[in-house]
Amino acid sequence: MRRLRHFFSRWQNWIAFLAILGFIYTAVAAPQISPDDPKRPGPFLRVGKATEGRPLPPDEKAPLGMLPHGQDVFHPLVWGARGALQFGLIVTFFTAIFGILYGALAGLIGGRSGGWMMNIADSFLAIPVIAGVVFLQQLWTTTITAMGGLYYTNQFGPVIEIVGPMTPIIWLFERFNPLMISLIFLSWMPYARIVHSIVILLVRSDFIQAARALGGSPWWVIRKHLIPNSLAPALVLAARDVGGVVLLQATFTFVGIGGDSIWGSMLAQGRNWVIGPGGSVLSYWWVFLPPTIAVMLFGVAWNMLGDGLSDALDPQSA
Amino acid sequence: MPPLLQFVVRRFLVVPISLFIITLVLYGGVMLTPPEARADLYMPSNLNQNLTEEQIANLREQIIGRYHLREPFPVQYFYWIKTLFDGTWGYSPSLNEEVLPSLLRRTPVTLELALYSMLFLVPLGMFSGVVAGWNRNGRFDKFFRGSAFLATSTPTFILALVLLSIFYINLGWFAPERVSLNVGLELSKESFKHYTGMLTVDSLLNGRWDIFGDVWKHLAMPVFTLSLYHWATLGRVARATVLNERRKEYVISARARGVAERSVVWKHVYRNVIAPSLTSMALSAASIITGVFVAEIIFDFNGVSNVIVDAMNGIPDAPAALGFAVYSVFMVLLLMFLLDVLQALFDPRVREGVLRA
Repeated sequence: MRRLRHFFSRWQNWIAFLAILGFIYTAVAAPQISPDDPKRPGPFLRVGKATEGRPLPPDEKAPLGMLPHGQDVFHPLVWGARGALQFGLIVTFFTAIFGILYGALAGLIGGRSGGWMMNIADSFLAIPVIAGVVFLQQLWTTTITAMGGLYYTNQFGPVIEIVGPMTPIIWLFERFNPLMISLIFLSWMPYARIVHSIVILLVRSDFIQAARALGGSPWWVIRKHLIPNSLAPALVLAARDVGGVVLLQATFTFVGIGGDSIWGSMLAQGRNWVIGPGGSVLSYWWVFLPPTIAVMLFGVAWNMLGDGLSDALDPQSA
Repeated sequence: MPPLLQFVVRRFLVVPISLFIITLVLYGGVMLTPPEARADLYMPSNLNQNLTEEQIANLREQIIGRYHLREPFPVQYFYWIKTLFDGTWGYSPSLNEEVLPSLLRRTPVTLELALYSMLFLVPLGMFSGVVAGWNRNGRFDKFFRGSAFLATSTPTFILALVLLSIFYINLGWFAPERVSLNVGLELSKESFKHYTGMLTVDSLLNGRWDIFGDVWKHLAMPVFTLSLYHWATLGRVARATVLNERRKEYVISARARGVAERSVVWKHVYRNVIAPSLTSMALSAASIITGVFVAEIIFDFNGVSNVIVDAMNGIPDAPAALGFAVYSVFMVLLLMFLLDVLQALFDPRVREGVLRA
């Protein structure tokens, strides 16, 4: 309770908390806030003429204006929250689990082998996510083509077209895109590092020695003692990561390398109207500002939450 | 063995192991696709339309045989490993050439981007961090904290968009792509000698100030884009260290002795800021190299990442993807190594350790 009070005594934490609550609400209530077109469901909604190349300013049909080709701005903005939260939480969840287990194991093994395990983790830092993404993307294409389907990326993100029944493999392909998997594989190292540093301190402590002396198996020690004790910093890291991976996802989508960030795709579609005509970034503000603010607020909110958590969970500050 | 050498050996021994694991996994992924699909990558593009199904199948079999596509996984993997040592890094069907030459040809472009980003952000980050930390809650500190917050929360691609809009479309000061069209023509002439491939250096060696200026006109935006985020992180590290250091007794004693404020900061405190900052720089350098593709794509630089980006929706082109991964691991480790040596030079504790052995 004291920790909670401490957490809510800072105004930054209130902002973070409310913003994230807002995103969660938008994500959950997306179908009510901005219903899909029943004929063409999906995160993008066409409200104007497809032949209209210019982005039209807000009117009664489109409360936040339109992207080029009559695409509504408000609809993907709302559904983007759902996509971003899903992506951020899934990636962070798997990343954190793997990193924590790896770090705990390395710490528990200790000695030279544990050191080697951490060295290997370090060298993962040098591998660019983009190599993994491109590679998996190619793998996806081939596998789906071999199954008689079609896989390609258009301006709205990756599309899977299949003939025949839905198989579990296709289901998996639809849920996990290449970017997601590459990010999981290539961003667990900080968790391992931080958990490892705590575990090597803990392993020497008396209560762990006692647990081992009592005949506790390594797994049991990891589960019962090491992970609960090293969870706080990992939690802080995870909170920041949720925002971080969503920014990365938007970046990848924007430059056209996989990923299906809806906000990133909005900016990619409006790109020429942001940097092109009109004199400034704000001439077509409804193309630039809504997705930009959404992406940045998402990143900032989770980052602030991380800061707040790190402050509140720090035993010295409470 | 001297500690530094030990350290180096350990670093370089770990690399092959983790590369082995990663490439093994990646290659395993390639093996999931049928050999026939992979053979299609190698099909000549000017294939005779009149060939019968049977002839095409025959050709495919030939290709499968030539590139060992039907061998078991370890054998194929071994063939790829072998290419790492013969200087080709394998033939990439999607690039239509060998991987290593095409990586090396693009290296100067990426190197320039990464190098100048570091040269830009390091002095600036150190300076602003130290000044902000020393005058805590002063006007500059507030300004620094505000802009560092803004810098870390702006995604690179949005920054790039804004820069393009302001400095390219409106003011016309800077431009995307590597060089202007007319300069590109100049570069392909006989009279322009290519020494390093880095245009900023080559233009000076050729005595062509006009080209030098044009190259910078194109470098400014991507360099700024790449460095802003890391400027903020480095500055924060420096600032936090200064906050920590300035309470220490040596600072009080230096002041008591009447040492000028400026030399307390830049002679006494500054030395202690270097070590933690170098760690932060190493991480920044690594992430600039792995993240340089954003700037390369948005600003239209034909850099190293182009090797794999073009083949996005194709059939798994293992040599290109794996070669790219191996390449950037090498680059990052080289940088890390250089920074470690720097650390030894700057930090007497590390240096003494080296000298004692």
